[in-house]
Amino acid sequence: MTLKNYFDSENYKTNFELTRATLPGQDVTWLSALREKSISKFAQMGLPGPKVEEWKYSNLNVLNSTSYETTNENCDSDEQTDKLLDQANIENINGSKVVFVDGYYSDKLSNIRSHNGVSLISLRELLKTNPGNAEKFFKTTPDENSLRNLNVAFMTDGFVLDIDDNVKLAEPIQVVHISTKSSDTKALRQNNYIRIGARASTQIIESFIGPDHINSWSHNVSKVVVEEKASLEVYQFQLEGDETIHMNECVVETATDAHFRHYSLNVGGKLSRTEVKPTLSGRHGQVELRGAFLGRNGNSHDVFTHMKHMVPQCNSDQIYRGVLDRGGKSAFQGKVLVAKDAQLTNADQSNKNLLLDRNAEANSKPELLIYADDVKCSHGATVGELDQEALFYMKSRGLETSAAKALMVEAFVAEVYQEIELGPVKEKYLSVARQWLEGKD
Amino acid sequence: MLEIKNLHVDVDGKEILKGLNLNIGPGEVHAIMGPNGAGKSTLAYAICGKEGYEITKGSVTFKGKDFLELEANERAGEGVFLGFQYPVEIPGVSNVNFLRAALNSIRKYRGEDEIAAVEFLKLIRAKAAELKMDPEMLKRAVNVGFSGGEKKRNEMIQMAMLDPIFSVLDETDSGLDIDALRIVADGINRMRGDSRSILVITHYQRLLDYVVPDFVHVLSDGKIVKSGDKSLAIRLEKDGYASVGIDESAA
Ligand SMILES: Nc1ncnc2c1ncn2[C@@H]1O[C@H](COP(=O)(O)OP(=O)(O)OP(=O)(O)O)[C@@H](O)[C@H]1O
Ligand SMILES: [Mg+2]
Repeated sequence: MTLKNYFDSENYKTNFELTRATLPGQDVTWLSALREKSISKFAQMGLPGPKVEEWKYSNLNVLNSTSYETTNENCDSDEQTDKLLDQANIENINGSKVVFVDGYYSDKLSNIRSHNGVSLISLRELLKTNPGNAEKFFKTTPDENSLRNLNVAFMTDGFVLDIDDNVKLAEPIQVVHISTKSSDTKALRQNNYIRIGARASTQIIESFIGPDHINSWSHNVSKVVVEEKASLEVYQFQLEGDETIHMNECVVETATDAHFRHYSLNVGGKLSRTEVKPTLSGRHGQVELRGAFLGRNGNSHDVFTHMKHMVPQCNSDQIYRGVLDRGGKSAFQGKVLVAKDAQLTNADQSNKNLLLDRNAEANSKPELLIYADDVKCSHGATVGELDQEALFYMKSRGLETSAAKALMVEAFVAEVYQEIELGPVKEKYLSVARQWLEGKD
Repeated sequence: MLEIKNLHVDVDGKEILKGLNLNIGPGEVHAIMGPNGAGKSTLAYAICGKEGYEITKGSVTFKGKDFLELEANERAGEGVFLGFQYPVEIPGVSNVNFLRAALNSIRKYRGEDEIAAVEFLKLIRAKAAELKMDPEMLKRAVNVGFSGGEKKRNEMIQMAMLDPIFSVLDETDSGLDIDALRIVADGINRMRGDSRSILVITHYQRLLDYVVPDFVHVLSDGKIVKSGDKSLAIRLEKDGYASVGIDESAA
């Protein structure tokens, strides 16, 4: 029996029985117990169907048609991984680099630089060396989120970043998640934990990349804590192949005077789901979410945000843009909660979508739950086409139709990334978007 | 240079141009005047190839080529420029990038190499100075937030950069202050030459004091109903369209 509107997926329970002995940390008691509880809870709940409000635009039936067993460790880096690493590369970024191949940390491809007050380690390594320390990152009781339970039950690795108070990292940390051909019909599940100590700051660039024609399911859950007066910027690039399922959930908690910024760009996959869920739990917290999703030929992009204002005087601002060409589909669901005590909240949200073809679909669903009375909240959602007058204006100046469209769409997407101060990252976003526009995503 | 014969144009199924004839030779400046709604902008769009302007009859020939076969951007490549009555805003696309893309696209059409970045910047600075335009405006998005007069001046810098051999200027003079009118008129006059032609669409004689036309035509109800020299414009300004036999209410 599953929850109402959820569907059964027995295969994962079976998978678990078959693979539990090979999962990392199988000798760590608390973890084994947690995995056990998580898979039972998942089996009880099931997978969310299209009648579940949060999943109404994504068809998760695909998760039942393939078994998606857990990936095996793929030790050898080869030409393929080198090429993918190269594609994900961002020029002139020289900080620590953490590389995962098929869901496992690759010591060979990574380069972790030691830095005073910064601890950066793979979850698997931590489970080996100090399992007690890893325990505090996990709830002992299973979750109310069925997919998160599935993630915990099968997780193979992840990264744990802990930055001490007052430490300001000058160089961004890069995290690259590669899925190779060996991950076909398999699932890559990682669980990450990030804590930025009081008054500390850092930037994380996270890329997800893989080849076309690989039916893998890359599933990441990250928990983030940004302490008092700390600052964290996350820049995500989702560049996976055309058959991949991508799920990435980022749950964030910000303290007093903390600043959290999250950027994303989705260009790959048959189904991508980006979830960002910040809880503002200290006064004067500030959260900015920015993202774009570009889809065509069977790409379906879902962005789901849940902004929770729990205390007074915080600001949040969301800007998301979608570009959908023939055969592309998207959904933006933006929930904003302003709790009863969260007076003087400013919460803005905007989602604009551009349809380049009749056979393209964009859905937009803002949802505001406001229980405080002295707040400023705004939201706007549009779905439109390219301005024909502007198109003719540009053509009359000599530009070919395709070039004129590309200039306009590029400008539409570029607005999302205009405030980025890290030049190479901004340039990477624009160049990925440009490549997509030229049809070579 | 441009030969228009018996041109009939439908917009949304409604006939707007109803058999228009116009011949513009090299080196000539023609002016078209006429009541609101007569079809002046429609003519400009039809010459430049705007979609939705359906040519049901007649021909447009440019330097011996059948122009109606060409897309709007190809017509630009052939050397035609349209100064818009209402210039369009393009959010997020800077004037500089737009002009560079346009110029290179025209060069490509002509089988020429792209312009070098340094040369381009030099050129655009020189043209901005000629039109007394603040170079900062060039960094802004095309026409976004520009005042009416600034938009018209922006059309002029585009014309100067693209260096057309035939320009249609649709009410480029309206909305300009007195000084700007002079600057724009000087800009138009710089475009004159033995092998270049200009078609000026205007409501006011004032521009024609600066840009003296070789021919003036009156367009009414989709046709050229009267042609003459610059004195025709003076007469119209003084006595109105009724003096040349046009009933305003019928236009
Ligand atoms: N999409 C359309 N559907 C129907 N009628 C149209 C359409 N577009 C233009 N027209 C009509 O065509 C006629 C000619 O318009 P046009 O813009 O060419 O006039 P004009 O001579 O340039 O006028 P003005 O001096 O006011 O600029 C007008 O009556 C206008 O209402
Ligand atoms: Mg007009």
